[in-house]
Amino acid sequence: MDVKKNNIWLIVSGLVIGALAVLLVAFGNPANMGFCIACFIRDTAGSLGLHRAAAVQYVRPEIIGVVIGASAVALFRREFVPRGGSAPMTRFVLGFFVMIGCLMFLGCPLRMVLRLGGGDLNALVGLAGFIVGIGGGVFFLNRGYSLKRTYSLPKLEGALLPLATVALLLLLVAAPALLLFTEAGGGPGAAHAPLLLALAAGLLVGGLAQRVRLCMVGGIRDLILFREYKLLLAFAAVLVAALVGALLTGSFKLGFIEQPVAHNDGLWNFLGMLLVGLGAVLLGGCPLRQLVLAGEGQADSAVTVLGLLVGAAFAHNFALASSAAGPTVNGKIAVIIGFVVMVLIAVLNSRGEKSAA
Amino acid sequence: MTVNIMQYIATFYSHFGALRFKKACQAAGMEAAVMPVPRELSSSCGSCVKFDSTADYADYHDPYGEIEQIVRLQGRDYLPVYRAANA
Repeated sequence: MDVKKNNIWLIVSGLVIGALAVLLVAFGNPANMGFCIACFIRDTAGSLGLHRAAAVQYVRPEIIGVVIGASAVALFRREFVPRGGSAPMTRFVLGFFVMIGCLMFLGCPLRMVLRLGGGDLNALVGLAGFIVGIGGGVFFLNRGYSLKRTYSLPKLEGALLPLATVALLLLLVAAPALLLFTEAGGGPGAAHAPLLLALAAGLLVGGLAQRVRLCMVGGIRDLILFREYKLLLAFAAVLVAALVGALLTGSFKLGFIEQPVAHNDGLWNFLGMLLVGLGAVLLGGCPLRQLVLAGEGQADSAVTVLGLLVGAAFAHNFALASSAAGPTVNGKIAVIIGFVVMVLIAVLNSRGEKSAA
Repeated sequence: MTVNIMQYIATFYSHFGALRFKKACQAAGMEAAVMPVPRELSSSCGSCVKFDSTADYADYHDPYGEIEQIVRLQGRDYLPVYRAANA
């Protein structure tokens, strides 16, 4: 066991992922959104016509790259082991509401860190909510919360989601006329890096995240559960790379007001990320981690990704997603429903025993 | 007679399973600690219990069905000694 080597991998991976995010923004992705799993799944849902918000429609190659990159490294390391059967519908619902929380805040935990690196202090408020949400999830873990065991599955079951992303890539390259795209200047969906660069970045992020088990929720969860800081190294490294990148490219802007693709309603930024933190602990990983696990053949994570996708479609079909103007009434109601559903799921899947710690 | 104490790591399907197993180990007078699963052991990121024992666990019966696998630490290697059915 080489702890030092692992830690170096974690730090380097975090730095590379942060730097790639800066690079993607320099080549066309929206500001402070070099990489955002929630936003990019939302854009992909739009491009497939699952929602009709014209401003956010584009099949993001980064998402495809993350899944395929994780699959490739997992296959190489003999870690592509299809498993599933651990409460798939519950995971779908949790994934759905994690997306509602992300689109209340306007970003997944990875984008939260990138926004922070760019000087967006609203992300600091989001981070506070995220930590409280993770603390809530740990509370249930210590009281017996479990979605029960997984079982070994046939190879095909684990391969279907990675194969679906390959099909999506073929669709994007060979038949883009079938997809919907945001018109130039029409919103964040129109801002994107060249396809090959975005795909390559996704492959690298997916491969690295699989190698080091990068998870934006895992670092804080492990710190609370075990006083173990290791996964936080990657979290901190992403932040450092994003901060240095923003300073070098002159895009760093400290403050709450007029931050790119963000709003400054503190309460709902806090509550949105609280919902994400709680849901991600109940799921066992952040949206990025779910994509990577799906790439490793975990069918439960594949179902979670579908929950995220459908959540994104609902968010835009029913005006639940925030915009730069702020959160919507519908979005606030959806976040509150999300809390009720998540707490019910947590309580009903706990053993009702006091902590065994 | 020399008693051979060996070091093991057990991985679990839930964090609570790990907590309960650690408590049982400690009640039996064994050294045990809950920690994150080492990367070299698995690509999953749950909780595991590192514990010392004189037993060999080859015919172990898991009373709660919470243990995914048990490995014995030998130098830098993990030697599998128990695995749940269909895991």
